[in-house]
Amino acid sequence: MYLRAYVRDRTAIFFSLVVPLMLLLIFGSLNLGAFGRVSLAIDDQADNAASRQFVAALEKIDTLSIKRESAETALAKLKRTELDMLVVLPKDFAIAPTRPGQQAPTLTIYGNASRPQQTSVGESIINEVVTRLSYAVNQTAPVINLKVEDVQGVRLRYVDFLVPGILGVNVMQLAVFSVAFALVVAKRRGVLRRIMATPLKPSVFLVSQVVTRLIMATVQVLIMLAVSVFLFDVHPLGGILPLLAVSLLGAVLFLTIGFALAGWAETENQVPAIAQLITLPQFFFSGVFFSKEAAPELIRPATNLLPLTFLNDALREISVQGATLWDVRMQLIGLLVWTAIGFVLAVRFFRFDRF
Amino acid sequence: MTAIVIVRDLRKRYGDIEAVRGMSFDVLQGEIFGLLGPNGAGKTTTVEILEGLRKADGGDAIVDGIDVSKQPQRAKERVGVQLQQSAFPENFTAKETVDLFALCYGVTVDAMTLLKQVDLADKAGQRQEKLSGGQRQRLSIATALVNRPRVLFLDEPTTGLDPQARRNLWELVRGIRQSGTTVFLTTHYMDEAEVLCDRVAVMDHGQIIAMDPPRALISALLARGFSKPVIQQQATLEDVFLDLTGHELRED
Repeated sequence: MYLRAYVRDRTAIFFSLVVPLMLLLIFGSLNLGAFGRVSLAIDDQADNAASRQFVAALEKIDTLSIKRESAETALAKLKRTELDMLVVLPKDFAIAPTRPGQQAPTLTIYGNASRPQQTSVGESIINEVVTRLSYAVNQTAPVINLKVEDVQGVRLRYVDFLVPGILGVNVMQLAVFSVAFALVVAKRRGVLRRIMATPLKPSVFLVSQVVTRLIMATVQVLIMLAVSVFLFDVHPLGGILPLLAVSLLGAVLFLTIGFALAGWAETENQVPAIAQLITLPQFFFSGVFFSKEAAPELIRPATNLLPLTFLNDALREISVQGATLWDVRMQLIGLLVWTAIGFVLAVRFFRFDRF
Repeated sequence: MTAIVIVRDLRKRYGDIEAVRGMSFDVLQGEIFGLLGPNGAGKTTTVEILEGLRKADGGDAIVDGIDVSKQPQRAKERVGVQLQQSAFPENFTAKETVDLFALCYGVTVDAMTLLKQVDLADKAGQRQEKLSGGQRQRLSIATALVNRPRVLFLDEPTTGLDPQARRNLWELVRGIRQSGTTVFLTTHYMDEAEVLCDRVAVMDHGQIIAMDPPRALISALLARGFSKPVIQQQATLEDVFLDLTGHELRED
């Protein structure tokens, strides 16, 4: 424990703090930041009471950012991906129930095919509004406002989704890469041999390594959360401490993998290859930048069992849904199982008598 | 004088290769003892067994009264170690490196005194990875002295150093012996062994084939009727080199 100051690796600290911050800033401020907001253009060709009522109902929904555009310009913008959707209200637009023989007015919705998530969210909102309005007219009951609130429940900004994912992935990167690199270099250059020639117990040395990394992870998590809160206005509903606790459990898990890798690799050149092999699939399939449901159906049962998936799910439920540690116990059990697996691997590969 | 290192019938094999085949020798307290031999003779293996870094397959290795194979941790507390091809953790200054090793031994030292002893006081605040080869070797000796060892093991301490740095290191080793520490070194430089060691053991193929003070070994060889086929030179190229470039240590 008294070796806490052991690794004062300035470059490592740079990479473990600055790079994640950059990731967060880039993805947080990118266009993706407006995931939840669907940019919608409306061409109200009817401009009658019914159409104004409809547009007003849409404008009450935060998820939509609405512009009035003519169908022509809006279509051009759609093609340039500057818009997500266009709704054209025909001249005969009405919410009144159709009398027999009368054709129902057709609401045309143009969606941007390259932003399917936004488009489908927008479509469902419009459907919802249409249904409510028709229902309201038929029943002459003012249920609009109430139902619209329901629709607003969909609102989840991309940053809110992103922050827990970034936390998870950085804990993984920090733990796997920093340990694997530092220890393989130390092993190869004979640093470990030299330290083993002192009476220092290997267990003390290992604990000091782990503690150093956990302190770094704590600092990293806290800085990231501070940036998220103050810069992106993200409010982790479940509180900072549970997030930190889960992050540190994740760090321990990935540290065991880092140690196993450090023990296995002969040279530092093997580290990035294997480390990427371990981390990259999790990077994409564990729900960091986008939902893990984006993974192909076929491999989803496997991706749901990835260590980072457990970590991200737990972090996200705490952060976004305000879950408690007890609520995410299944994920925590998953993490513990992986930690046990990693521990066995680490003990198997990381042997002091081999240095 | 009493023996501080006692080795009896020491054996070690790696797969099919028998690196050490029944070595027996004593190192006396207060002497500079040299283990000589060509590369691959088993010198490093022998030293690493004595340092507690490797387990012997058979035989006894006793350092300062402690059986190394039974109590490696206690033995490690009594010896100072400079390994062949080892390095220090990066991002530490010379002084921090000394302090770090003091921590590893659980002792507190005055790092500056140790650095002064190895003539590195002015480099105390410099990152150790920026030191020259000779300086790093001296830093390595400083770290090996933090626990006031009874025996100092030096594995090929002057390999890769220039003639000035070698001579400087020899002086340092003599000074350490003067202060009462027994020095056990390995080398494949015969000139080094000749000027530095009180006694040497020559080993080859994992066995000791001769052991005596260097002068005695030379006399014995001459007594067997050996004579060099070449005319005895009055000076060597190294003498020329040192005459031209001076004896002062180059610090760069």
